[in-house]
Amino acid sequence: MHIGLLTFIIFLPLVMAFILMVLPISMKLTRNIAFLTTIVVFLLSLSIFLRFRLTDYMQFREFHPWISTYGIYYSLGVDGFSMIILMLITTLIPVGYLFLWKTRKSKGYWASMLLMQTGVTGALLSLDLILFYFFWESMLLPVFMIIGIYGSGNRIFSTLKITIYTIMGSLFMLVSILYLGVQFYNEFGVWSFQLSDLVQITIMSPTQQTLLFFGFIIAFAIKIPLFPFHTWLMQTYSNSPTGGVFILSSIMAKLGIYGIVRFVLPLFPHQYVEFAPYFMWLGVFGLIYFGVAALMQQNIKRMFAYSSASHLSLITAGIFSLNIYGMTGAAFLIAAHAMATGGLFLLVGTIEHDLGIRSISGLGGIAKKAPLLTVAFALMILSIVGLPGTNGFVSEFLIVLGLFKYNNFIGIVSATTVLVAASFMFWMFQRAILVKTDNNISKMKDLDKKEIIGIFGLAVVIIAMGLYPHWFLYKIEPTLQHYLVDILKVGVSS
Amino acid sequence: MKYDDIIYLLPLLSIGVGAVVLMLLSPIKSFSINRLSWVTLFFLVFAFGATALNFGHVYSATPFKDIFSSMLITDTFSGYFSSIIITGGIVTVLVGSHYFEKANMLRGEVFSLLLFSVFGMMLLVQTTELLTAFIALEIASISLYSLMGFQKNNVKRVEGAFRYLVLGSIAGIMLLLGTTLMYAGTQSTNILEIAKYISAHPHANTTLVITGGTLILITFLFKIAAFPFQNWSMDAYEGAPLPITAFMASTFKVAIFGFILRFVLVDFHELKSIWNDMLFYIAILTMIYGSLLAVFQTSLKRMLSASSIVHTGYLLIAFVSISNIGESAATSIIFYLIAYFLSSMGAFGMLSYIASDDHLRVTYEDFKGFAHIRPYMAAMMSIFMLSLAGIPSTIGFIGKFYIFVGAIQAGYTVLAIIGIFATFISVYYYFKLIALMYFYPSSEMTNVPPLKGMTPLFIGIMALLIIWGGIGNTLISYFPGIDFLIDTARFAYQSLFM
Repeated sequence: MHIGLLTFIIFLPLVMAFILMVLPISMKLTRNIAFLTTIVVFLLSLSIFLRFRLTDYMQFREFHPWISTYGIYYSLGVDGFSMIILMLITTLIPVGYLFLWKTRKSKGYWASMLLMQTGVTGALLSLDLILFYFFWESMLLPVFMIIGIYGSGNRIFSTLKITIYTIMGSLFMLVSILYLGVQFYNEFGVWSFQLSDLVQITIMSPTQQTLLFFGFIIAFAIKIPLFPFHTWLMQTYSNSPTGGVFILSSIMAKLGIYGIVRFVLPLFPHQYVEFAPYFMWLGVFGLIYFGVAALMQQNIKRMFAYSSASHLSLITAGIFSLNIYGMTGAAFLIAAHAMATGGLFLLVGTIEHDLGIRSISGLGGIAKKAPLLTVAFALMILSIVGLPGTNGFVSEFLIVLGLFKYNNFIGIVSATTVLVAASFMFWMFQRAILVKTDNNISKMKDLDKKEIIGIFGLAVVIIAMGLYPHWFLYKIEPTLQHYLVDILKVGVSS
Repeated sequence: MKYDDIIYLLPLLSIGVGAVVLMLLSPIKSFSINRLSWVTLFFLVFAFGATALNFGHVYSATPFKDIFSSMLITDTFSGYFSSIIITGGIVTVLVGSHYFEKANMLRGEVFSLLLFSVFGMMLLVQTTELLTAFIALEIASISLYSLMGFQKNNVKRVEGAFRYLVLGSIAGIMLLLGTTLMYAGTQSTNILEIAKYISAHPHANTTLVITGGTLILITFLFKIAAFPFQNWSMDAYEGAPLPITAFMASTFKVAIFGFILRFVLVDFHELKSIWNDMLFYIAILTMIYGSLLAVFQTSLKRMLSASSIVHTGYLLIAFVSISNIGESAATSIIFYLIAYFLSSMGAFGMLSYIASDDHLRVTYEDFKGFAHIRPYMAAMMSIFMLSLAGIPSTIGFIGKFYIFVGAIQAGYTVLAIIGIFATFISVYYYFKLIALMYFYPSSEMTNVPPLKGMTPLFIGIMALLIIWGGIGNTLISYFPGIDFLIDTARFAYQSLFM
C-alpha cells in the first residue's frame, strides 16, 4: 500500500515517542533524538513547500479506507492555507526544543512533545471529519500531561479545567459531525464523513445549519480562545511550563482558526457570510478587551497571554472580513503571530528559568546582563506591534485594510487599538528589560548557543516575510481566492 | 450430524463439566489452590478454543434438536457472547486468585462457583426458550450470590449478598410470571414460536403478551441496573469482593444484554414500539442518574460501579433506536458491549490486582503518584479510563460513535445529545484518576504487586486490544482492523435471522 509523505510527517513523531519511551535510554539522549526527529519532519515539510503547485486544489492526497462500514477514510491533503500552517508548526517546534533544551529533566516531557506534534499535524492535514476529530482530541492528552506534570501553582485544577473545557467544545462539534454524516446518508444513501462529500448536502433547513454552524464554532472558539470562551486561558497560561504555553499560544490556538476556515467555511457558507459581521465585531471587541486586560497585568507571562488572545481576536476578525485582504492578512498573521508570540514566550521562559517567576516591576536591567536576549526580545516585540519590515506589519496592515473595506468605523477602531497596544508593549519592554533598577538579577544569563541558533532562525523568517511577503503569499493566494469566490461567492473584494 | 452437534455444544459442555470436576476436586486437601486455578483456566481456555472453532462465518444451528426440543441454539451471536463471557471468566480467575489469596478468602469452591456462573451466562445467550432462560439466569445469579457473600465473617459482604439475593429473586420471579403470561397468550415459551404466533395473528388480543413482555423487560432492566431499578447495584457492587464486582458489572451485564437482544429482536420485532417511549425516558434518566452518582464518589470502586450505570444508559440509547434502524442499532449494541467489556473488565481487574491485603487501595487518594511507582500499570489504567470516557484512539470512542450515529439516524437526536452530555461529565471522573496518578509526586505506597506474571500480561493484552480496536489500521494490509470487529458484530446480528 502506498504511504505518502504526509503520513510520515504525522506519524514519525508518534513512532519515535513510543520507541524512546520504551527504550531504557537517558533523558538527554531522548531529547536529542526527539530534536532530530523534529528536524527530519521539518525537512519533509520543506520538501512539500518546495514542490507545492500553485493551484487551489488539495495536493499530496492520501486516501485509504479506515472504517469502511461508515465510510470513514484515512484521508489527507494539503492546500495553500494548511501548507503555511504546516510550515509554521514544523519550523517552530524545533526552535522550541532549542529553548527548552536546558529546562526539563524527564523523558516523558519530550515524548509528550512528540505526541503533541503528531496530534497537531494530523488535525491539520485531515480531510475526513472523523479523522480530524480523532487528532483534534488526541492532541489534548500530551498537553494535559505537560501542564499537569511539569506545571506550577494550582496546576492540577487548571489542567482539569482546560481539559473539560475543550472536551466540552469538541463534543458539540462531534454531535454536529455525526449529524452531518447522517444527513449525508439520508440524502445520498451512502456513508461518508469526507469534507468534500459533506459540503454537497442540500437537504438541511437553515435552522439546522445554523445550529450545526455554532456546534463547530464553539469547539474552535474555545481553542482560540474567543470572547467569552476565554476563561480557561489565564489560569492555564500562568500555571503551565514554558513548553505548554508555547504550544497552546503559538500552535494550538492557530488550529482553532484553521478549523474555522477549513471546515466551517465550506460546510456552512451561508451562515458564514450571514454571521460574519457579528464575528468581526466580536473579534474587534476581543482585540480591545484582551488588550486592556493585558495592560493591567503585572507579570510578563500573563501580559503576553492576554496580548496573544488580543491578536487572535484580530485574526478572527480578519477571516470573517470576507475579502482577500483580510483573509490573506489573517493567514499571514497566523504565521507572524505564532513566531513572535512563540519566540516571546520562549524568551520569557529563559528569564523565568534564571530568575524565577517575577512581576514586571521585579525585573529591569536585563539589557546589560543579557544583550542578545534583549535584541531578540526587541525584534519579537517589533513584529508583534507591526513595525514595517517585519511580518507583523504586513499582516496587521492587510487585516486592517480588510476591515476598512468592510466598514470604515470598524477599521478605525481596530487600527487605533493596534497602535495603542503597541505603545504599551514598548513601555513594558522598557520597564522589564531596559531600565536599570535595584532588583537583584545577578543570576540572569544571556542566550546560549542553541538558543541563539533557534532565535536567529526565527528572526530571519520574520524579516524575510516582512521584506518579501510575496514569496510567501503567492502560494496561499489561489486557495484563499477559491474560498472567497467559489465557496462563499462573495468575490475577492466585496 | 451428531458430530457437528457435539462441536457446537462443546464450549457449554466443557464449562459444565469443569464446574462439576472442580466441585469434586475442591475438598481434596492435597490439591492446592494454585493447581485448582490452573484447572479452571484449562477448562476456560479449552471452551474458548472450542468457541473459536466457529469464528469467522455466519451460522445458526439447533444441536440435538430431539433431545432439547429446540431449546438451545448455537449461532454466531451466541458464539460472540460466549467468547466475551469466557474471557471475563479468565480475567476473573487470574485477578481473583491473586486477590483472594491476599484477602484470605480463597477456597477451592470459588472456582467451581465461578464456572457455574459462567455456565449459566453462556446458557442464557444460547437459549431460545423462556423457562430455560429463567433457569440459566438463576444458575448464574445464585452462583454470584454465593461468591459475593463468600467471606462469611465480613458483615458488609454478607449484607450486600443478602440484599442482592432478595431483590434479585424478585426480579427472577418477574421473569417467571412474564413467561407464564406469555404462555397463556401464545401457547408457547419458545421465542421463535412466540414470534411466529405474533406475526400469524396480527389482530389478536395482545394484552397478555404485552404484560408478559413488560415483566420480562423489567427483569432485564433490573439486572442491567437501569433507572429506576438501579439502587441494588451500588450496594451489591460495593459489598462484593473486587474481582466479583468486576465480573458482575462487566460480564454478567454482557450476558443479560445478549439474551434480551435475542428476545427483543426475534420475538418482539413487531411489538417493540410499544415499549419505546418508556425506554426512551429510562435511557435518559439512567444516564443522568448514573452521571450524578459517579461524580460524587470518592471510592474508585463505587465510581466504576456508578459509571457502569451510565454505560447502561448509552446501551439503552441504541436499544431505543432499534425500532427505527434495526440492524445498525443492534450491531452497535453488540459492538459497544465488547468495548465496554474490555475497558471495564480491564479497569476493575487492574484495581483488584493492585489492591492488596493490608491496605485496600480503592479510593482516588490512594492512587496519588502511582505512575511514578508502576509506570506501565498506570499507563494501562489510563488507557482503560480513556476508553471508558470515549476519547478517540480507544475502542470506547468507536463504540460511542456507533451508538450516537445510530441514535441520530433513528431520529433520536435528543438522546445523542444527552449521551454526549453524559460523556462530557464522565471526562471529569475518569480524568481525575489519570491526573492523580501522574501529577503527584510518588507517595508512600507500599506492597504494590510487581508487574510480572500472567495477570498483568493479560490485562496488558486487553489494553492493547482497546487501542487496536480504536485505531485499527489502514496502512498495514492483511491485518484485521476496526472493520473486522464491526463485521463480526454484524455477522452476530445476521445469524439471529437464519
